[in-house]
Amino acid sequence: MLRVFVLLGSVLLLIFIGFIPILFLFIKSFIADGRFSFQNYELLFDSKRTWILLLNSLSLSSATAFITLILGVPLGVLLTKTDLPLKRFFIILFIIPLIISPYILSMAWFYTLGRGGVVAGLLGEEIGAITSNFLFSFYGVLFVMVSVYLPVAIILTMTYLRTLNPALEEAARLSSKWFYILRDISLPLIKPGIMLSGLIVFVLTLGELGVPLFLRFDVFPAESFLQFSAFYNFNAAIAMAIPLGIITIIVLIIERRFLRKKVFQFGMTRMDYLIIPLKKTKPIFLIAVGLISSIIVILPLSVLIAKSIGGYPEAVKNSVDSIFRSLFYAGFGATLLVIIGFPMGYMLEHRAYRFYYTADSIAVFLFGLPGAVIGIGLIGMWNTPSTNFIYTSMLIILFGYIAQYTALSERITASALSQIPDSMEESAQLAGAGWLRRLFYIVIPLSKRGIISSWLVGFIFCLRDLGITMMVYPPQMDTLPVRIFTLMANSPEETIAALCVIMFAITLMPLGGLMVITRYMRW
Amino acid sequence: MVIEIEHLHKFYNGKSVIRDLSLNIDKSERLVILGPSGCGKTTLLRMIAGLVVPDRGYIKIDGNVVSKDSKIIVEPENREVGMIFQDLALWPHMTVYKNLEFGLKAKGIIREERESRIDEVIEKIRMREFKNAYPAELSGGQQQRIAIARSLVLKPKILLMDEPLAHLDPELRLVLQKEFLKLHEDFGITVCYVTHNRDEAYNLATRIIFIEHGEILKVTKPI
Ligand SMILES: Nc1ncnc2c1ncn2[C@@H]1O[C@H](COP(=O)(O)OP(=O)(O)O)[C@@H](O)[C@H]1O
Ligand SMILES: [Mg+2]
Repeated sequence: MLRVFVLLGSVLLLIFIGFIPILFLFIKSFIADGRFSFQNYELLFDSKRTWILLLNSLSLSSATAFITLILGVPLGVLLTKTDLPLKRFFIILFIIPLIISPYILSMAWFYTLGRGGVVAGLLGEEIGAITSNFLFSFYGVLFVMVSVYLPVAIILTMTYLRTLNPALEEAARLSSKWFYILRDISLPLIKPGIMLSGLIVFVLTLGELGVPLFLRFDVFPAESFLQFSAFYNFNAAIAMAIPLGIITIIVLIIERRFLRKKVFQFGMTRMDYLIIPLKKTKPIFLIAVGLISSIIVILPLSVLIAKSIGGYPEAVKNSVDSIFRSLFYAGFGATLLVIIGFPMGYMLEHRAYRFYYTADSIAVFLFGLPGAVIGIGLIGMWNTPSTNFIYTSMLIILFGYIAQYTALSERITASALSQIPDSMEESAQLAGAGWLRRLFYIVIPLSKRGIISSWLVGFIFCLRDLGITMMVYPPQMDTLPVRIFTLMANSPEETIAALCVIMFAITLMPLGGLMVITRYMRW
Repeated sequence: MVIEIEHLHKFYNGKSVIRDLSLNIDKSERLVILGPSGCGKTTLLRMIAGLVVPDRGYIKIDGNVVSKDSKIIVEPENREVGMIFQDLALWPHMTVYKNLEFGLKAKGIIREERESRIDEVIEKIRMREFKNAYPAELSGGQQQRIAIARSLVLKPKILLMDEPLAHLDPELRLVLQKEFLKLHEDFGITVCYVTHNRDEAYNLATRIIFIEHGEILKVTKPI
């Protein structure tokens, strides 16, 4: 009884906070001048600009997904399966771009490649003009997006490779060189994982707001945001949001239909899988990986840090309130995410009740939906006189976090729980322990590590959020990423750079925590 | 002698797993290594196959040194050693035919010869009608035969078997033991078979070696 109440409760909460607003949005898109009509859509699809935006969005997302896989899969293989030196160091390095707000990276690239940037300073203004044109083009945006989402492909490749039954490769090793083993056995077996990471990158790029806005590349979420915030045209913003929602649903269906059941040989993580000796090619791979990581991570961050010198007093004075608000919201948000995500993850792992699948689909759908769309949905729902207490308080930001990021805590919980043998809970049940008792004395202590990880990941994602927060934040309640974005246009560069570095530094703390946990905690 | 092992040592985290082990395996014999779980049987087989690097001692296959102390001299793919894993490790995304073909292809054998060798082996194990089946569509016994066929099609000098029957129920185990003896007769291959099951050892072996804590206790021949 209690079990169904808690599990169902978490799902209903997510539906209420995240899904209903989107449903409302969908219904509202069919209403114009107070009655049912396709007017919003007619306006949308009659305009040539819509099609350009759609083309831009789709080509950017596909190209990012494609290149991310081309680079990320080999890097994932190198960092998991070979005796490449400094593997751990490189893994951390590659993860950094993912955990900071993507547009901070584009800012760093602006200081590097822009007209007044480092390259221009070193190589002259003509070269600077070329690099600046590159940065503010499709290819520049593509480059930044690839560097942001490369970690997704790397991490998923690594994860799936590690869950592969090592005997499958060993059996092949008796008759074959590594090249054929990787080509014909290992990589085909993790193909669903590779495709999944492609889809995730596609969806996340599709929803990205900050980078295209900053680099002035016209895509759907940016346009939706501008319609709303610059022109106060709520109907147009809604109509813009719908195509994004539809694309997200299509991607979700692809994931559910084709990738779900196709994963072979899962769950038996043995740590003694064979290592590929790189032998004479080791220096070559080391240089290649070193070069890639220097270009996409070390270079922009070094430029950012160099640029920030002298900007700190002003930065702190301007934004100390946003910094603390960011930490507070993220901490609060992460806690709520664990509270809602844990029961949902439990339900997913135990396949408890028939609606576990629907619940998971809703969470994943909301995760894939662009933050700007969720933001518009929340505003549409709560911006009424009687619900103003939500609309004008931090609640609306927290609602946004829950809507978008519950899938993360749900999935992390589920994978942590899958490591605990069912017999643990069952034996407690036979001993007469009720569900709540089992939960608090068996399940939660055994999945401590997973819970802390999901809190930290939730914290990182709330902290780096721009899409939702920028849409919904009430006056004087902005977070640091939003503050940086609004100050950007008319503040000295070193102040902005300093704020970016501060932002970067506070995101590194939970990452450090995450690494300690994955390394030193058994459970 | 197919395999000669002299003064082999292996340590894991400073703990000795194989201790000064010397052993010869003769052509066409069915050597069974019998010992309790954790005594180092799997480690020994994996060192013969080249999947684990020893710390001291050497291993010879057909008179050629394949590893000396902690140096691998012949890579696994060039040792001509077949191995049957406990969970069989059939590649789930490949048909029976493709499973058998992979190693031949990797060794650069031309298509006509691949086909004729696969056909020959598949005929011998009476699995012709399952050529295009996926492993998941086969019964446990059929999977076992395919795993053996996958090794034999490469004409290995020795077949290493790591408790292939350990997970199965007693009845099936007896059936498969008979089947295994028949296959051994048909192919006339040298086998090194590892188990912790005494009955199985006596049913299958032409010679039994008892090991404990990585050392040989005694050697017997069942009647
Ligand atoms: N990769 C490894 N790392 C550390 N210890 C290992 C590893 N493989 C095996 N061992 C240890 O070596 C001992 C022998 O293992 P194994 O050869 O698998 O024994 P058996 O196959 O006889 O059960 C065991 O104590 C086992 O824990
Ligand atoms: Mg063993």
